[in-house]
Amino acid sequence: MIKKILVGYDGSAAAAQAFDFALDFTRRYSAELHVLAVARPPEFGTEVETEAVVESSRRHYGHLLKPLKARMATESIQAKFEITIGHPADQILRYAERHGIDHIVVGHRGHSIFEHWLLGSVARQVIAHAPCPVTVVRR
Amino acid sequence: MTEIWAQAALWLGLALIASLVSIWLRIATALSEIVVGTIAQLFIGAALGSAILAGDATWIKFLSGAGAILLTFLAGAELDPMVLRREWKQAIAIGLVSFAAPFLGCAAVARWGLGWSTDASWLAGVAMSTTSVAVVYAVMLEFGLNKTDYGKTVLAACFITDLATVVALGLIFAPFTVKTLVFLGAGTVTFLVLPWLIPRFFRRYGNRPSELEAKLLMLCLFGLGALATWADSEAVLPAYLLGMVLAGTVGKDHALVRRLRTLTFGLLTPFYFIRAGALVSLPALVAAPAAFVVLLFVKMAAKVTGVYPVTRAYRSPRQEGIYTTLLMSTGLTFGTISALFGLSHDLIDQAQYSALVAAVIASAVVPTLIANAFFLPRHLLQSDEAPQADPAATTAAHVRRSS
Repeated sequence: MIKKILVGYDGSAAAAQAFDFALDFTRRYSAELHVLAVARPPEFGTEVETEAVVESSRRHYGHLLKPLKARMATESIQAKFEITIGHPADQILRYAERHGIDHIVVGHRGHSIFEHWLLGSVARQVIAHAPCPVTVVRR
Repeated sequence: MTEIWAQAALWLGLALIASLVSIWLRIATALSEIVVGTIAQLFIGAALGSAILAGDATWIKFLSGAGAILLTFLAGAELDPMVLRREWKQAIAIGLVSFAAPFLGCAAVARWGLGWSTDASWLAGVAMSTTSVAVVYAVMLEFGLNKTDYGKTVLAACFITDLATVVALGLIFAPFTVKTLVFLGAGTVTFLVLPWLIPRFFRRYGNRPSELEAKLLMLCLFGLGALATWADSEAVLPAYLLGMVLAGTVGKDHALVRRLRTLTFGLLTPFYFIRAGALVSLPALVAAPAAFVVLLFVKMAAKVTGVYPVTRAYRSPRQEGIYTTLLMSTGLTFGTISALFGLSHDLIDQAQYSALVAAVIASAVVPTLIANAFFLPRHLLQSDEAPQADPAATTAAHVRRSS
């Protein structure tokens, strides 16, 4: 039985589609929806800039999640929103484990050269190591 | 003035390119600016003459120096004074170990292994002793450790390490004279008075379009900087200390900090880091790469030897302990500041400067790469050690949708 669904959200078109898919999924199972946005500090961060990036990312994702929160207010579904800091795949997996998530939904989008080099695709990592089924929503 | 405007346009064009590169590659802007400065010097220097990017013009030196001072001040202001007050014993112990191990190790290797002069060896020790508070801070946020005693202590320790670095930089190379005593005395009085004066001044005159807060802070920073250089010390020393003593007041005023960051990153630090990169001699580095490799290796080895046992003493899991230790081996900002100080005070030559900056850049990149390659995602390493899960439990449904 699927009780908790987690969707990773970064404001991209792929993430928006993943959110729609997760919302539909949540309705069908009468589940609880968890929306996670992950703010990424720069690689090889330096003094002052890292804190500035973290601060502005938190604000940015706060703004991005506002319309979703407003949309969820009209639904009878229980929804939770959270912004964390770190590498997206790692944070999604940590969140899923900590909150006993039954299903993860992520979008699929392009990545920077360094992201691919360091981590590979976020979706691929989530699929490979998630403690539950994963849906990757492709555009 | 035409020449000045043209040069300013050139430098800011390079800064713009560096910022775009940092966004595309998701790397720190300072790192990007140093690399862009080094590469630009090769091409623009060859085409138009090396003087353009060497930054010998007084106005470039001023903007560059002001960038270092403000950046150092803001770095100091990120300290959480409550944590330092509560965990000062552990923070000082870890911080001093994290400073002393690479400082002594790299200085010894530079002196007896690379045959550098005594001053150059001490400078190498200072430049390689730093820790990037920013990188450790980001990791603490990722782990959620920033709210734990362990995380707070490690972060406070990083500030102590950097404080030790700037104190060493400010005092080791300064001849101890009456000027030094005047500088230390005046500095002490200022650091006692300003935490009392500044909040009152801001309450009375703050939040006006004329930006009195920024003007007062820059007055204090430049005044103390002048005093420090008059005493043959380094202007970033009082700047970092002032940041730390004002962390509880100015550091908590997010709007003011954001405005200062805009000034610092928007205009000043690009001049500093591009200049730092432009002064690197790639031919010298390629001709003798051993110095940079040895310094990098010794720094990482010394940090691991010094810091890892401390993380274990705090019962940090092995992976997280290694990860934290590796990231405490990073350090770009203060390493670059130290190297540039050495070059501008003739403590090191350009080849030694190039080796040091390369080692500093590598110390920002290599430990992070190792940590990410072997310890990321940390979550996965932990689950790999656990009994294998049923593969059938993990399924992936690829849903193709037209946009």
